[in-house]
Amino acid sequence: MNLAPTPHELLPYLDEPPQHPVGGFGKVPMLRLRFERRGERSILASMERRAPLLVLKTLYCDEGMPELPVVYVISNSGGILQGDRYTMDFAVAADAFAHVTSQSATKIHEMDVNHASQIQTITLEDGAYLEYLPEPVIPFARSRFLMRTDVEIAPSATLLYGEILMAGRKYYGEGELFKFDVYSCAVHAKRPDGSPLFVEKYLIEPARSAVARAGVMGDYHVYGNVLLLTPPAVADAVAARAVTGWNRGEGWAAGVSRLPNSAGLIYKILARESEPVRQMVRDFWTVVRAEAVGRPVHRKFPWR
Amino acid sequence: MATISELTRVLQFGDSLLPIGAFSFSNGLESAVQGGVVRDVASLREFVLAAVEQSANADGLALLAAHRAAAAGDAPGIDRADRAVIERKLNEEMRTMTLRMGRKLAELAERLLGRSTASASWLDRIKAGATPGTLPTAQALVFADLGLSERDAFAVHQYGVATMMINAALRLMRIHYLDVQAILFEANGLAEPSYARAAALGLDDMYAFAPEYDVLASLHVQAHVRMFMN
Repeated sequence: MNLAPTPHELLPYLDEPPQHPVGGFGKVPMLRLRFERRGERSILASMERRAPLLVLKTLYCDEGMPELPVVYVISNSGGILQGDRYTMDFAVAADAFAHVTSQSATKIHEMDVNHASQIQTITLEDGAYLEYLPEPVIPFARSRFLMRTDVEIAPSATLLYGEILMAGRKYYGEGELFKFDVYSCAVHAKRPDGSPLFVEKYLIEPARSAVARAGVMGDYHVYGNVLLLTPPAVADAVAARAVTGWNRGEGWAAGVSRLPNSAGLIYKILARESEPVRQMVRDFWTVVRAEAVGRPVHRKFPWR
Repeated sequence: MATISELTRVLQFGDSLLPIGAFSFSNGLESAVQGGVVRDVASLREFVLAAVEQSANADGLALLAAHRAAAAGDAPGIDRADRAVIERKLNEEMRTMTLRMGRKLAELAERLLGRSTASASWLDRIKAGATPGTLPTAQALVFADLGLSERDAFAVHQYGVATMMINAALRLMRIHYLDVQAILFEANGLAEPSYARAAALGLDDMYAFAPEYDVLASLHVQAHVRMFMN
């Protein structure tokens, strides 16, 4: 069972897992969330799920924005395994707002047959605001992972979507840096009338094309890729305040570019460890929240 | 075997001195040199070969799609390939570069090949705002108009990316011209397997992975001191 057409890079990885066939119980996790506005607050108005995905009860734990529903996506499977086909569907209704994150880093386990995929749909209606900031992704050696995200966003809405990709289990064994087979990630964004905004597809096949070289990852091991889809005035204000530069001494590099069709910004960060990237995503998020909704970001929780 | 007129047309339209503006751009090399990512022959080689590979997997696929659409007389197919290029250029400088050079090449072709060509009707659509006008599309259409193969167009496209960066390197770095010719020679050798792979893929397969290159391009847009355009 496949929930999306298989692109060329995964055609070698379609053999059936002997432990659980693709499409069997627990192998097609699904999560569908819809947020709506209720007075001053937004709420999680509907939720559908299929194991092993679930969400924690909606929390209003953000002191910077107490009316903001915060949803932690949880999986009780311990990570993404060969043959898994995840789907996630997040919708934010007109003038509603929400924050979605994950329980912990997403571990994509080692695979010897097949692959895993995660197909996401994100829909933002007029004036909607969504922060989707999951914890980093760790692709283990020999893993094969396909991520597809379709975004449909109204011109007045704002989506902040940040991913952090690690090279692998950097300090495990001999050091696991870019030892996975395939990491394929694409975002297609369009307006509600169907007019296209932009496409980003990146495909990493370290055995075919070396990652640790000038122009690609150089000597960096962690990649932060943050999309901000927002009206042009907010994009201009955020671009002016975003931290950018090529800082050899501190070991990070970051830059912000303007997306085609006035869709917003893309902010890219490189570093050797995850912490500087997490901090810079957080700093960028702080600027975005201030410029988009005029609110501060809460202090960092000591356990996150 | 190509005839002399085919060969000389490939040479003329593949020449790095073709007046379509390549000389004004460094394809990210200027900020790579400023940031210390490219500092010697070895790092220049890595950077250029990586850029050429990215180009084959992204713009190269659109070029092949546009050439095939031109051969089939499929104008909407040409414009689809053209839009696929611009929708995947996530940096404003890269969009400026491809649009400026694409349009200039189409204008040059109109002068040399006349009005009854696929590239001339495409230029009309660019002027009408109906299609963006990117460089790989322009190269595909001009080569189709000249009766040259998609393989020739792909080769010239890959060669153009490498020569633009090589020429910029000679102006940006203290580097021997024989060393940069060796890099160009190696890059040219990669075009054949790149074509074999690209020819089997389509527009939906277009991809890239070059975060350092992307960050450097975005920093170039903000740079105050620079030799090359953005």
